[in-house]
Amino acid sequence: MPPLSGQTLLIAWLLLPFTAAFLAALLPPLARGLALACCLATAAVAAAILAGALPASLHLLGPYGVVLQPDALAAPFLLLNALVCGAVVLDGWCRPLPGPFLLLLMVLHGGLASAFVAVDLISLYVTLEVVGISAFLLILITRSERSLWLALRYLLISNTVMTLYLIGAALVYLDQGSFQLEAVATAGAAALSLLLVGLLTKAGLFLSGLWLPRTHAEAPAEVSALLSGVVVAAGIVPLLRLSVAVPTLATVLPTIGLASAGLGLLFALVEPEAKRLLAWSTLSQMGLVLLVPAAGGLYALGHGLAKSALFLVARRFPGRDLAGWAGRPLPTGVLVPLWIGSLSIVGVPPLLGFFAKSNLDRVLPGPTGLLLSLLSVGTAAVFARFWSAPLRPSTPPPEAMAPAEPAWSPGVLLLLAALVLLGAREATRSWSPALGPAAAKAVLVLAAGVGLHRVLQPLRRRPWFRLPDLEGFPDLIGGIGVVGAGLLVWVR
Amino acid sequence: MEAFRLLELLILVAVLVGFVGLLLRRNLFLKVLAMDVMGSAVVALFVLVAARSGLQSPILTDPVAPEPASASVALADPIPQAVILTAIVIGLSIQALLLVVITRLSRVDPSLDLGSFEMGSFEAGGRR
Repeated sequence: MPPLSGQTLLIAWLLLPFTAAFLAALLPPLARGLALACCLATAAVAAAILAGALPASLHLLGPYGVVLQPDALAAPFLLLNALVCGAVVLDGWCRPLPGPFLLLLMVLHGGLASAFVAVDLISLYVTLEVVGISAFLLILITRSERSLWLALRYLLISNTVMTLYLIGAALVYLDQGSFQLEAVATAGAAALSLLLVGLLTKAGLFLSGLWLPRTHAEAPAEVSALLSGVVVAAGIVPLLRLSVAVPTLATVLPTIGLASAGLGLLFALVEPEAKRLLAWSTLSQMGLVLLVPAAGGLYALGHGLAKSALFLVARRFPGRDLAGWAGRPLPTGVLVPLWIGSLSIVGVPPLLGFFAKSNLDRVLPGPTGLLLSLLSVGTAAVFARFWSAPLRPSTPPPEAMAPAEPAWSPGVLLLLAALVLLGAREATRSWSPALGPAAAKAVLVLAAGVGLHRVLQPLRRRPWFRLPDLEGFPDLIGGIGVVGAGLLVWVR
Repeated sequence: MEAFRLLELLILVAVLVGFVGLLLRRNLFLKVLAMDVMGSAVVALFVLVAARSGLQSPILTDPVAPEPASASVALADPIPQAVILTAIVIGLSIQALLLVVITRLSRVDPSLDLGSFEMGSFEAGGRR
């Protein structure tokens, strides 16, 4: 028997989640173990890529075949995929999960893993559709009437933009005779803007991402954690690859990213509901991922881990309304993850979010760097609203709730441990005297954010302190149209 | 080449019509149909792209014979055809899923009007 080559291993890894999902359908008791095995395999592949043990690109089936690139850009996203899916599996370990949840989770996991390594337009199309369909079915998992409408809205938007994306792909082929991402660089403006509209909407960015807050806020907690943690990254990775391959996008994508960050922040600051606040913050943070392709992976990893931990504990929030937050004590198992997750997103050392942000800060030129600091102050003000909740003194649970939930969800613990340990790893890897001022700056930003929160808090009771609702279905389609038309004029 | 441009333009007009239908129609079923119009237009676009070099499908009939005749026949490009076959299957399955959801939603509001779902009876907080 010949020794296993890197290529064989990669193909086996990509096939594993789908095979496991099929097996889980036949043998439901095995589902949890199989799902966990898929996540472990993905984590191992991410580690192998970082160690340089795998081939950086893989050509299958000749010149017109599929090219896969498990490169350094994909590695943080694969790790994110493994950790978030693993955390969701662990979080539901002691609870009965509704119907085909784990099966869909495995398909979603496999689709995401393929989307992160695919580099031609058509493989991307197929994998993004797999991700979209499995996310749709996951939103439907509770089968409530509300989730029916949410899921319909999600798939309708997703399929519409993927149709536009496909037109873009056809135009690229007409022009270049190839579906590779490099071919996009020399294709026309129309093709490029159609592809971008599709990917921007999938990634939930700017006006084309207005579908995101309601979908992420109203889905069940586990599904929200998946959607906000990794599913949005399926659109981000191709965008990062495109911004490397296409020189004309070097200014376009960071500008859209900044606009998205500002928009999400504005809405998050006035939002009265906890889960919707988290969802608006996703829209804002995803914009920042787009700023620098080289630093984007680490930023997405930091954000995804923290955000899915926050969404997982959101299941146990005492209420969704943030107005009375200060009067409702939280148990330790909710309060500590809430603090660690939000501090990481705000960028407080020594958590992973701090290193991601200082990485970004180092590469950005002056004015954009200043803008980034202002946005960070806003982010701190957004999350400061969670910090007013006091700690509930630990009391023995009432007898009525016989099978009491464990105080700490193992999934949340995994995510928090990853935030701290990966932060420590980054600290040892990128240790330099420049980190001192960066840490001081992070503390200043935090203080300014809390100050801003204090200023805004009395204003929130005023009736005029609100923004227009932009989440009706016509608004979403209109947003896609506006972004598409804008890109068509802008990209030359 | 003139005919090619004209057909391409017509297809793009069909896409636009589908998009406008998606934007303006109040009925959910018509919205899904509008999306299908867009999908069909894309299929037509890929078929058109494939037919740019010829109309004959490139199918190997007799691999042994040296086939002097087929060399002169203009063959269609098989790559876009293969790609759109995948996209048709995906489009069909999505269409089916959407129609199932719409069937379920019609129990809430048989007229399937958009307004009754956006801020209708089961809106969580009655916002807006």
